[in-house]
Amino acid sequence: MRTTELFTQAIRPLGRYRGRAFLMMLGVLVGIASLAILTAVGEGTKRETMARFKNMIGTFDTIIIRPGGPGFRGMPTLVNVPQSLRFEDARTIAKLPKIKQVVEVQSAFDIDVKYRDRQASPAVFGVGPKWLSLRSEDVADGSFFTEEQNNSLARVAVIGPDVRKDLFPDEDPLQKTIRIGDVPFQVVGLLKSRGAGPTGAQLDNIVLIPINASARRLFNRDYLTMLMAQLKHPKQGSAVAMELTTLLRDRHHIRPPALDDFTVTNPTATMAQVLQAGSTLQKILTGVSAMALLIGGIVILSLMTIAVSERRKEIGVRRSVGAARRDIVVQFLLEASIVSFAGGVCGVIVGWGGMQIVTRLLKLPPILVWQPFVFSILLSLVVGVVFGIYPAWTASRVDPIQALRS
Amino acid sequence: MIEIENITKSYPRGEGGVVDALKDASFTIAPGEFVVVRGSSGSGKSTLLNILGCLDQPSSGNYKLEGENVARLDDKALARIRNFRIGFIFQSFNLLPRTTSLENVEIPMVYGEGWVDRKKAISALERVGLAARGDHFASELSGGEQQRVAIARALINNPSLILADEPTGNLDLNSGREVMRLLQALHEEGRTILLVTHDDQVASYAEREIFLRDGQIVSDRSQQARAPEEVMP
Repeated sequence: MRTTELFTQAIRPLGRYRGRAFLMMLGVLVGIASLAILTAVGEGTKRETMARFKNMIGTFDTIIIRPGGPGFRGMPTLVNVPQSLRFEDARTIAKLPKIKQVVEVQSAFDIDVKYRDRQASPAVFGVGPKWLSLRSEDVADGSFFTEEQNNSLARVAVIGPDVRKDLFPDEDPLQKTIRIGDVPFQVVGLLKSRGAGPTGAQLDNIVLIPINASARRLFNRDYLTMLMAQLKHPKQGSAVAMELTTLLRDRHHIRPPALDDFTVTNPTATMAQVLQAGSTLQKILTGVSAMALLIGGIVILSLMTIAVSERRKEIGVRRSVGAARRDIVVQFLLEASIVSFAGGVCGVIVGWGGMQIVTRLLKLPPILVWQPFVFSILLSLVVGVVFGIYPAWTASRVDPIQALRS
Repeated sequence: MIEIENITKSYPRGEGGVVDALKDASFTIAPGEFVVVRGSSGSGKSTLLNILGCLDQPSSGNYKLEGENVARLDDKALARIRNFRIGFIFQSFNLLPRTTSLENVEIPMVYGEGWVDRKKAISALERVGLAARGDHFASELSGGEQQRVAIARALINNPSLILADEPTGNLDLNSGREVMRLLQALHEEGRTILLVTHDDQVASYAEREIFLRDGQIVSDRSQQARAPEEVMP
């Protein structure tokens, strides 16, 4: 009750000294707006990065092994990589105690896929039957190929949404026969959309076929372009990566000083590095906006201090009619907090609006995080209280006798 | 109502010396008395008023207000006494700027009961004849009207003691008379009134006159109070 009345007493001067209140708000507004934008963009970017990694690999606990040494660049395909990664390697790795399951991959890009008179140019992947379970996903329609289909060299295919659009714009693709190169495959399943990968590549323009059919019926190659090894325990990534390196060097009879003829990467670690790099910049920018907020706080501090010295008489009057020192402290603290809070709310609105404009102009995906905004508003309240303490304390020390005499 | 005993108020003055603004003042004021305190400036009138009003505390001596020794109370307790038992009226009115009459009158309720009874504030303004001016800012009122608003503010928590410091000092004759009439009415209701003034005519309303010189009470005598109509032409 008493606090409610003190609140009214605190809010009134803000309405009556609007110019000053506006300036106090402005400082906080700028700080909070930039802080809100930065943290939201940072958080949004982080989530987006993680989502894209997830789109690509499917999990955060998978190690990728590719043929070709550390100097190799680009996406490995069956025509441009050393033939060093073999099915035998995959079988050996699958037996390791720390590995849950492996998926062999053969990839080819410049290969036409046709259905009747329609044609598409997807990436064609031969993959092990555990591909879907490694990603813990489901097909959109039909089913994924099985271990038996793989073993029996069945010519079956699962197609991505983009391929479906290109080849089957208005018919059901299931059980239809497509031609990959010159080899017929029967469509048995449809993949769900995966969106974009870390580099922005579309992941939906793909055709998946069983690895054995790929190796012996389509490409006639007995080496792999990639091996995905899922860990039993996600945290063992770096240790397992080293273990796999040692194992593969041994299997491939590589002795120092010869370099690896394969590359082991731990995408989760890579992602962590990417996020780390982003977060350094993020930290610097956050520091800058924290500085802006600090300046906002100092503006409140100085304007409130001026207000206290100008309103000494008012303080004297209030004391003479029954305000205790504590009431004066509370009242001025409320005044500083209200104005700072208002600045924070406006800052968040401005920041949110600014972010919409920025993401639209830069054509970034929309950032859907709300926590930084709530946090910013709370922070503005803290700023008001912290920078209001000194003026409020000064106000409570005003000697009513001297103040009333002036 | 008021009992003070050997009240002294000293202020430090360069090189370790002290100056006594008030020296060994003692008197008793009965409930319902109308007392005027007189003396030249620097005689200690204001110091006395501040101590009686619980805005200041004596260096030594005892002060009993309605039987309670208030000389050693803490800030919160003193604030409560100022709020509920004492009404201040100042020479320069001391209304809050950029605040309406009604809001000014309501302020003591904020610090007292902790909630504002607007009806009570309106009736306090009615009492001083300014109900129609409730939403005017203090700066829009004449001096006499401002002082009447200040009286309404002093009365809002129904105090038994009214302390007035030169309440007519900044007013023209008519407004001054009106203010004195209001004080007279408060006196007739049984409130104790202590008034500080230079003005002989204003002083003649009181039943008792305390005269201060150099911080000491030099005379304390009863007198025949006169009605405002008698004093003001």
